[in-house]
Amino acid sequence: MFRKILRITGRDVRSGLRDNIIVYVILAPFLSALILRGLIPSVGANVLQMAVDPSVEPAVVEYLETIGKVEVLEADGEALERRVRATDDVFGLRQAGEGGFEIVKEGNEQEGMDEIFELVLDAYVNQDLELPMDALVSDIGWKLPPLKQFGASVLVVFMSVFGGMVILINLVEEKQDNTLSAMNVAPVSRKAFVIGKGLLGVVIPVIHAFGVLLILGFEGLNYGMVTVAIFSIALISVLIGFVIGVMNDNVISAASSMKVLFVPILASIMGAIFLADKWNPLLYWSPFYWAFDSMNRIVLLEATWGVVLRNTGIVLAITAVVFALLSRRIARGLN
Amino acid sequence: MVKVEGLYYSYTNDDKYAVKDISFEIAEGESFGLLGPSGAGKSTTQNILTGLLPLKTGEVQVAGYDMHHPKREMFNKLGVSFEQSNVYGKLTALENLEFYRKLFDVPTLDPMELLTLVGLEQVASKKAATFSKGMKHRLTFVRSMLNQPILWFLDEPTTGLDPAIASVIKDIVKEKKERGTTIFLTTHNMFLADELCDRVGFIVDGELRLIDSPRNLKLKYGEKLVEVEYVEEAAQGDEANQAVAAEQPIVSDSADGSGTGTVGRATIGGGTGTGAHLIRRHFSLVDPVEVAALQEVLATRKIETMHTKEATLEEIFIKVTGRKLV
Repeated sequence: MFRKILRITGRDVRSGLRDNIIVYVILAPFLSALILRGLIPSVGANVLQMAVDPSVEPAVVEYLETIGKVEVLEADGEALERRVRATDDVFGLRQAGEGGFEIVKEGNEQEGMDEIFELVLDAYVNQDLELPMDALVSDIGWKLPPLKQFGASVLVVFMSVFGGMVILINLVEEKQDNTLSAMNVAPVSRKAFVIGKGLLGVVIPVIHAFGVLLILGFEGLNYGMVTVAIFSIALISVLIGFVIGVMNDNVISAASSMKVLFVPILASIMGAIFLADKWNPLLYWSPFYWAFDSMNRIVLLEATWGVVLRNTGIVLAITAVVFALLSRRIARGLN
Repeated sequence: MVKVEGLYYSYTNDDKYAVKDISFEIAEGESFGLLGPSGAGKSTTQNILTGLLPLKTGEVQVAGYDMHHPKREMFNKLGVSFEQSNVYGKLTALENLEFYRKLFDVPTLDPMELLTLVGLEQVASKKAATFSKGMKHRLTFVRSMLNQPILWFLDEPTTGLDPAIASVIKDIVKEKKERGTTIFLTTHNMFLADELCDRVGFIVDGELRLIDSPRNLKLKYGEKLVEVEYVEEAAQGDEANQAVAAEQPIVSDSADGSGTGTVGRATIGGGTGTGAHLIRRHFSLVDPVEVAALQEVLATRKIETMHTKEATLEEIFIKVTGRKLV
């Protein structure tokens, strides 16, 4: 059966790569991630980047590494100037006499960053100085730039619909070409056919999620958790894709019907972001709320397997209810 | 190979039956044709036999499988050629066959050889979406041969094909039949059924009216006819003849379909209304009156052509069912 499932999936891949809409659907999340990455320059710009001359003591380098990104140059002299002239915002640093430093800058760095760098060095040099006051620093919970944090989670959850869309387009193709009847007289079980057709609907969102997160610079995430969270939410899209696919004979009208999913997705995500915690129970019915919650915790590195599996369990339970409601309609449409 | 007993089917789950109380059997190696006009119940019957429609009432066994509990594995033994072509437009002809070939659990024929068989080898690497209707139909037809089926369902296999290709398809079916493949043909083309089938069943309004071999049906229901074309000189002042001649510039055929004693006329030599007319007339060799009329024509007229003519299956169908095959 597994061999036949792969044959069916393989046919859909081959056929899909010859369909402009499917190619667009596959590429769109990556393009969106690239655009989003371009829109959040502050992610990199707010990080103090320093290139240090070999003359700088290791202890200073170690201290600076707790503040920002430090690049230790192997050669001294001109190498530092060359590095600073590069297109990114990098300050150069070399030792200047005993206890003193020379900051080398290009001149077009982000405003205020040089003063911050001076303060950082000042703090190091005067670390033994007793301050005449006590300062308590706290944050209001933003661990990442909002655009990066929510952008990644929104994109990943939202794009899970695209897997369903690929299924839908392939099913409409089957209906237009009248090939479902041919498949119904082939020695392929209905189960194998449905799994073969549905496989892309979960594989594509997982690939999308990995690609989007890597493009946005989330290298250190737990990708096992990402896979579990996206797999579960993709199942809903697969179901909806099947239902709309078997009910439509036209790709455009089918894709339009798929857009009805955008409403609960966006409502769930926006609600999760903007509603006060006490109102969140209003969104508990939505599997997209739970998927977004998982993704949000994952990108903030706050997720635990317990929470991810709990949310996944809820998503799967809701999916089972949706499946129970729609399975007869799907079965009828595949005849 | 196929056994059907008391088959009923209603699409609306009430007493509006698309097929009613159908029973027949098809022996191994036999070629059976289910004939009838559109909407008679041919496709419904075939769809139940191939599992495309669920068996509700009646008993059906196909290739040893009880169709109350059809198994997917049975399709390793069956081939189904649909009336409406159904191939993947975005795949090439060869890719279409390769895809289906890999779904079977039994040895399959070489797709390229099959394409060559129906003259599609030159377009093997072209997407099926670019094919004409006839080319798609041929591709659908050869796809049903991939698994070398022991029971082959053919739904209007030559519809929409040009005569040369239709002849190729008929030859392929005949060859498979000679090799022992059991064939279930549904068609409204009586000439095709006459040529390919050992037995035919007439189905009208969901009811199977008659089953027999084409030869037996002709012997039982056909009349022996002679078709004669002869020249008749129009008499001066024969107003009826002049009127007919003016209206019918070419040879016309029997109009009422009854076959006997009918006359068609055409003007020969300028159509002035006073020239000779070519008459085509059918004479029954069973009816003494018509035999006498034939003898008179043979004795007194100039005979142009004369053919014996046996009843066609279509004529027998009309006679038996009172319906035309439209």
